[in-house]
Amino acid sequence: MTVARLQLMAGVVLAAALIAPLVPLAIWSFAHGWRFPDLMPRQYSLAAWTFALSAQSGVLSSLWTTFAIAGATTVVAAVIGLPAGRALGLYDFPGKRIVLLLLIAPALVPAIAIAPGLHAVFLHLGLSASWTGVVLAHLIPVIPYMTLILAAAFARFDPVHEDQARSLGARPWQVFRHITLPMIGPSLLIGSLFAFLVSWSQYLLTLVIGGGKVQTLPLTLYSFAAAGRNDITGAIALIYILPGVVVLIFTARRITGRHPSLARGLAP
Amino acid sequence: MLRSLAALLLLTTAAAADTADGQALKAMTWDQIVEEARGGTVNWFMWGGADNINAYVSGYVADRLKSDYDITLNRVPITDAAEIVNLVLTEKEAGVTDAGTVDLIWINGENFRSMKQADLAFCGYTDLFPNNTLVNWDNPAIANDFGVPVDGCEVPWNTVQFAFAHDSATLVDPPRDMAGLLAWIKANPGRFTYPAPPDFTGSVFVRHVFYHAAGGPDALLGPFDQARFDAVAAKTWAILNEIEPFLWREGRTYPTTVTQLNELFANGEVAFTFNYDPAQFGIAVQAGIYPETVRSYGLADGTIGNTNYTLIPFNSPNKAAAMVLQNLLLSGEAQLEKAKAEVWGAAPAIEIGRTSPQVQAGFAAIEAHPSVVPAAELAKAALPELQADWLTAIEAGWTANVGN
Repeated sequence: MTVARLQLMAGVVLAAALIAPLVPLAIWSFAHGWRFPDLMPRQYSLAAWTFALSAQSGVLSSLWTTFAIAGATTVVAAVIGLPAGRALGLYDFPGKRIVLLLLIAPALVPAIAIAPGLHAVFLHLGLSASWTGVVLAHLIPVIPYMTLILAAAFARFDPVHEDQARSLGARPWQVFRHITLPMIGPSLLIGSLFAFLVSWSQYLLTLVIGGGKVQTLPLTLYSFAAAGRNDITGAIALIYILPGVVVLIFTARRITGRHPSLARGLAP
Repeated sequence: MLRSLAALLLLTTAAAADTADGQALKAMTWDQIVEEARGGTVNWFMWGGADNINAYVSGYVADRLKSDYDITLNRVPITDAAEIVNLVLTEKEAGVTDAGTVDLIWINGENFRSMKQADLAFCGYTDLFPNNTLVNWDNPAIANDFGVPVDGCEVPWNTVQFAFAHDSATLVDPPRDMAGLLAWIKANPGRFTYPAPPDFTGSVFVRHVFYHAAGGPDALLGPFDQARFDAVAAKTWAILNEIEPFLWREGRTYPTTVTQLNELFANGEVAFTFNYDPAQFGIAVQAGIYPETVRSYGLADGTIGNTNYTLIPFNSPNKAAAMVLQNLLLSGEAQLEKAKAEVWGAAPAIEIGRTSPQVQAGFAAIEAHPSVVPAAELAKAALPELQADWLTAIEAGWTANVGN
């Protein structure tokens, strides 16, 4: 058995393990009743999808809300993460370890521990129940990922290249655009992907800071999951997963520098 | 791109006509309040787990609110009203007294008591409603919410009464009283369970056993009495511990939510589910979750009933719009619409006899879902709800003595 073959098999097994839990969700979304001990639903229906895609359910509007918030969070996180990651990756300064610890802290402390206090602070600042507040709240778990990934990229980065460009007369923006960005590009992309998906999956911070008024998809999803509506939950869950998969497909090639490995393995 | 992102970041909820000052509203006539409310928005936080209830609110109610009053209804789905009580409490502690997030909550019981005790409710305005005349405030089941006097702090929306459901295809003749049910549980090991209190539904099941142990609710009504509680509680825990080995999974574990019980019932693992709102059985059959052979019934010794309400928080900035919505929800037409089996099947909180002849005819023409026991039949043996202090004591006692 060749190495390529083993790689392909590992890829298939991994993909199957990731996709298998989604299959019941897909079946549920078309099921009209699916009870033990039936292997498959007795009846099928489009009711769950009709409801999920209707204006009344609010699923599509919360999809756009979730998109806009995750997008805005990613952009702001990148703007903060680039200089911060550069400082941490390139320079040694007193207290660097403490800064690192503080940076990682939000990723280690569960959101439920900080959400009530954060809510009180945001209320005083007039930021609760607004998009701005939710984006700011999402930045707390998002920035560690972005900054640490960029710090790792800058640790491998040699600023001599920038000096060279400057000595040839490049302006700061040109240096960034033509030297820095291409060199840290893949890391920035990974960081952005993490940022987008971490924001995309926030439940508690959105609920508490958004005060229910900023209705993202996880909130809608959970209200049906908690009520035992497996059919509607299945439909919304599939809508919820889709953007993440799309983003992954479009960026996988840039991250690995090649085609998605499974596709490559299947190619002749 | 950058500009639209900046606009997005700056986007905050724009306030229309601010009607946070409840005292000023109370001095107005109804027509003035409606004028104040026109063009505004109302944020209604309500349990969002039933698509047909959501559809009724976002469809029928929102459409009428828009067309009749030009008010936009923003339905905010939540999983637990207690979260929203905490939200309003946090706002109060943070000094947000006139720009709260919540304009209306669907609420009752312990959550109402919490809001009333913490002065989080806007009170004393219901007389202004034209549709207030449809409400029978002399009925103690309407004027008291789990034994706590309503005092004009909330407006009734639905009445419900506890009922059991079984699958008539597998269990033809279920036990019809509590003594019979307890005997049935012991004769059919593994076929019954109930959600662990403080789950709302599990808690009310335990109260039925509590009433049974007390020989009826009469001795339990009124304020909490430790001596009386101790006597009845000891008997109740003995009964529940006696049946525990005969419960699903030998009682080693209990479902934590009624949703889990419903799922066990749907999959045939247990023979009964129960709910405070029998309309839920019809909804579940329509959604295909339960088989069409599911039937529901009350107990001969009675089942507990309650009323659920809508409440305006003290710091709502859109009180006028919320009031217009509450008045609309009380109208004969809106109560009739949600009483229809295909819409929701919810029993009205108003006196049908006080509505217009058309509405009365509409109520008379309603055909109940075959899986939903008619409210009139349940009402033949109705039990009152205990005061909230009893509830918390029973829930804590269950955790210490049965669920340990």
